[in-house]
Amino acid sequence: MNRPATPVLETRRLSVTYGRRCALQPTDLAVWPGEAVAIVGRNGSGKSSLLRALCGIEPAARGEVVLHAESCHHTARTVEVAYVPQRSEARWDLPFSVGQVVAAGRIRNRWWRRGSRGDRDAVDTALAAVGLGDLGDRAVSELSGGQAQRVLLARALVQQPDVLLMDEPLAGLDLETVDTVLALIQRLTGRDLAVCCVLHEVDIARGSFSRVVALSGGVVVADGPAASVLDADGIESIFLRRVAV
Amino acid sequence: MEPFEYDFMVRAAVATIAVCIAAPACGVWALSRRLVYLTDAMSHGMLAGVAGAAIIGGSLLVGGLIAALAMALFISLLVVRARVPEDGAIGVVGQGLFALGVIGVSLQSEPRALAHVLFGNPLTVSRFDVIVDVAVVVIVIGTLAVMKPALLATTFDAVHARTVGMRVGLIDSALLVVLSMTVVAGLVTVGVLMAVTLIVAPAVTARMLGRSLNAMFAIAVASGLMAGVVGLLVSYHAGLPTGPTVALLAVAQVGVAALWAHPARASRRSLIPDRASAAAH
Repeated sequence: MNRPATPVLETRRLSVTYGRRCALQPTDLAVWPGEAVAIVGRNGSGKSSLLRALCGIEPAARGEVVLHAESCHHTARTVEVAYVPQRSEARWDLPFSVGQVVAAGRIRNRWWRRGSRGDRDAVDTALAAVGLGDLGDRAVSELSGGQAQRVLLARALVQQPDVLLMDEPLAGLDLETVDTVLALIQRLTGRDLAVCCVLHEVDIARGSFSRVVALSGGVVVADGPAASVLDADGIESIFLRRVAV
Repeated sequence: MEPFEYDFMVRAAVATIAVCIAAPACGVWALSRRLVYLTDAMSHGMLAGVAGAAIIGGSLLVGGLIAALAMALFISLLVVRARVPEDGAIGVVGQGLFALGVIGVSLQSEPRALAHVLFGNPLTVSRFDVIVDVAVVVIVIGTLAVMKPALLATTFDAVHARTVGMRVGLIDSALLVVLSMTVVAGLVTVGVLMAVTLIVAPAVTARMLGRSLNAMFAIAVASGLMAGVVGLLVSYHAGLPTGPTVALLAVAQVGVAALWAHPARASRRSLIPDRASAAAH
């Protein structure tokens, strides 16, 4: 595959600490447009810390995040990097409409501004892209788990980002919905969007992602094509158990 | 409409209506953002500022706001510096300022002042109080309207809101200032303690009955207005204290809404089996 000259997102010696505990050791990583990157590892390996530092939720202890070859001053807190959190982080019990939630992705830092016609069109387009075009007025409290995941995806897409960062987007979904979300990711990478997903589903990471970054103890221990990183030996070294591949 | 032949009743009605619009509108966000305990503690803690302002002859509104801001500062210091759990910090600071306020009020020459501040008396509302209350309701409703998209985004998912550049702390602070203003505005009519009831109870009613955010606002304000106007008339005719009567009516509506909403929601849930699987939320 021909890669563009510059990656869309980079980390340079990026590290994250919580108090005295170092969750992510200094890490160099580069993501190119159109890549589907699965970030895997055991619990506490630093996957979510890496993802959250990439989108600016966690401040970098050292190092920096670089977007389009320009420093983000230790944070990529910009609409060009869209974050899709775990579903449990949001308030699904409230009677907000799907359209209102997705529109939150367009607020940016001008929160006092009323939504324009362009914003409303972008919301409609994003909802249609995730297959929820007819649910704009539905309350989020009435959605299924799969629909909720797609709402979060639409909220990210409405930002018209270059990079999509997703934290365990497949957790708790049934097989049919998993297929839907994976097909969406594939479509997005086909449009040169870079997608990075924290995943626990090793088989899906191996089968549906072009590249796998594996972490252990806050260190990147493997980075490469999915099939080679997640072969039997690779899985054993990352997850400390042997499985048939 | 005999009561409204008296000027003091007209002033009481206007002031009560103003508070009964502002308080439930704030309450929708306070309830949605799980700020009820903080609002309750703030209403207690503001007594210190109100009492201090009364002693030096200053504005009760300004005094109450200063106390609310001081409370927010003390809570932040305890939570961030001393690692005290947030609810513990809210309880300690709120009760500490409340105790200070009770002492401050007791130092005043008028012995009934404390009961007046705690429970209010709309029949003593002055023309100036009415102007302040109407100004507050305009500011509160205007602020909430302008901030609606930001409040919605940060309430649904504060972490995501930060990633798109929103200053969540600033929005939290703005909401707390608006809540503080509402509690102080309710001071003369229903008292600082009952003002919290007018913030919370109509919002709870609306939460049970409303299917959308706009519906919640409409139901909350309607519930607050009903409690305010009916409570004022009932208290006038029955000779009851107005603040508690208004508060009781607001709470009674919660009971009615619970009876009405419970079976309706249960049957709706059964029609949406997939919702149970949304436990993964």
